[in-house]
Amino acid sequence: MKDTKFIYTPEIPEVFRCRVPLPGTSQAFVNNGVLREESLSPKGLSVTSAGETGFSLVASRGSVPEESMQIICFRDSGNTNDIAFTNRMIFEESSDSSVLLCTHTLTLDRFKTDETIKISVEKSAVANIVVMQNEHNDSSHSVKFEIDIQSKGYLRINVISLHGLFLENDFVVTLSGEGAVCELNGAYLVDGNQTVKSNVVMNHMVPGCLSRQLFKGILDDESRAHFSGRIVVARDAQKTEAYQANHNLLISQNAKAYTQPQLEIYADDVKCSHGATSGILDQNALFYMRSRGIGESEAKLLQQLAFVYDVLEKINNEQLRQRLCDLTESRLRGEFSHCSNCSMNCC
Amino acid sequence: MLEIKGLHASIGGKEILKGIDISVKAGEVHAIMGPNGSGKSTLSAVLAGRDTFEVTQGDVRFKDINLLELSPEERAREGLFLGFQYPVEIPGVSNVNFMKAAINEQRKHKSLPPVTAAEFLKLMREKMAVVEMDSSFSGRGVNVGFSGGEKKRNEIFQLAMLEPTLAILDETDSGLDIDALRIVAAGVNKLKTPDNAFIVITHYQRLLDYIIPDVVHVLYDGRIIKSSGKELALEVEERGYDWLING
Repeated sequence: MKDTKFIYTPEIPEVFRCRVPLPGTSQAFVNNGVLREESLSPKGLSVTSAGETGFSLVASRGSVPEESMQIICFRDSGNTNDIAFTNRMIFEESSDSSVLLCTHTLTLDRFKTDETIKISVEKSAVANIVVMQNEHNDSSHSVKFEIDIQSKGYLRINVISLHGLFLENDFVVTLSGEGAVCELNGAYLVDGNQTVKSNVVMNHMVPGCLSRQLFKGILDDESRAHFSGRIVVARDAQKTEAYQANHNLLISQNAKAYTQPQLEIYADDVKCSHGATSGILDQNALFYMRSRGIGESEAKLLQQLAFVYDVLEKINNEQLRQRLCDLTESRLRGEFSHCSNCSMNCC
Repeated sequence: MLEIKGLHASIGGKEILKGIDISVKAGEVHAIMGPNGSGKSTLSAVLAGRDTFEVTQGDVRFKDINLLELSPEERAREGLFLGFQYPVEIPGVSNVNFMKAAINEQRKHKSLPPVTAAEFLKLMREKMAVVEMDSSFSGRGVNVGFSGGEKKRNEIFQLAMLEPTLAILDETDSGLDIDALRIVAAGVNKLKTPDNAFIVITHYQRLLDYIIPDVVHVLYDGRIIKSSGKELALEVEERGYDWLING
């Protein structure tokens, strides 16, 4: 385990000794919006305070850090007010890096968090960001991603929303340089009276950019999911490729999925598609599995896991993908998704 | 092994099975033939526990257990297998995970520990050879993108993995070319033992050239109108069903 410095909050690394993701990951902690202490970052990546609140992550020009960076944002009773803060992530020219962003709640206070993340992917930079949201049942968290991707830049964000009363992810993406690529994927699991909202505005401003969106969710009990996705292709943005899909699996009759796919295309030489569905479990597949001896609840679980696996498989780090698959499974089994050895049951 | 007595079943108030009696002993192969709409697939679905059909009368005992009281998964764990006429595609669930889940449920039922990874791989390899299935199939989603023949081979592969005491094959020959038919039939013949039994449902006599039945039943309008030896299949092939229906 890497030795990190946490001078002011020595208990935090204890709390997070679970090492969620991978051995080769450095961790930084953001407590109620305040970066506690700058950690030892992998070479080429730095995480610093962005003022009183928020953090600023920079992948330096041309760097290809071997390790990925995990940033754990958590709320606790140290500040139970509603908070708002802004973070920055700058992926400088030709850098190639991975970031895991986790959000948690450590105490049972009613939290409201309003976060903005400004992401800049510079020319020919590659950025892989995984966001894992796992908060308690009385927590409300909105994240606004303001994203700019320059020429030949590549950004992939996978958002896995596991738990929380109200989670909202708002993406405004501008593909501002030719050959820019953006992949946004989201998997959300909601039950009880939880709500997850995903809003995307994908702006294709210049020719020859590619964007893909895949959002899939499973809704149980009285839960709600909202998806609103708009692809805008500017008049000059010829040879654009833009795809969008939102699929919902409704487990309960009382769950509701609202989905609004929208295309605004002003160019005439583009490939764009969108698709949105809401459905129930496939009864034929359930019977098929049961006829092989697989119990009804297990058959339902297999089908649900398969449904969101399309999104999980887009996480390119195998260990992290496996970890998130396990968390998804325990979430669907109705267990509170514990990380191994973690004392706080926060995730 | 299987005793069906006076079985009546209906769907949406419409009676499909109107009193079926069949007795199958260990080591036997029974063929059920009959024209379209006679109730062949309904019979197999009812035996496997499909709840879209309602059993209104009759009794089915499987190894002296009242089969009709069991859920589909319990029937499977007791050793009943249904080879589907239209195997279902399950995107996202790989063949490996599907079979591992099924095998482990069966082992749990027998109070055995879960199969180890090495044992399981060995078993998969062994049984895939029975139906000449390519190992690349194991990682793919269950039946996803499989051709008609590949789907039916996958059914026999699953049968080989689960080693049921009674296998019901519902029109396993439909949609198969002659080579696939031979492979499927050879698979069944390899899996036949004095302790298990097969019920083969088919439209055509062709399959019965490869899988030799001990008893042939002709099903028409929800009833068995004739049961006899394997020569009945040949007679049906030659003369059709009319002489039985009108006779």
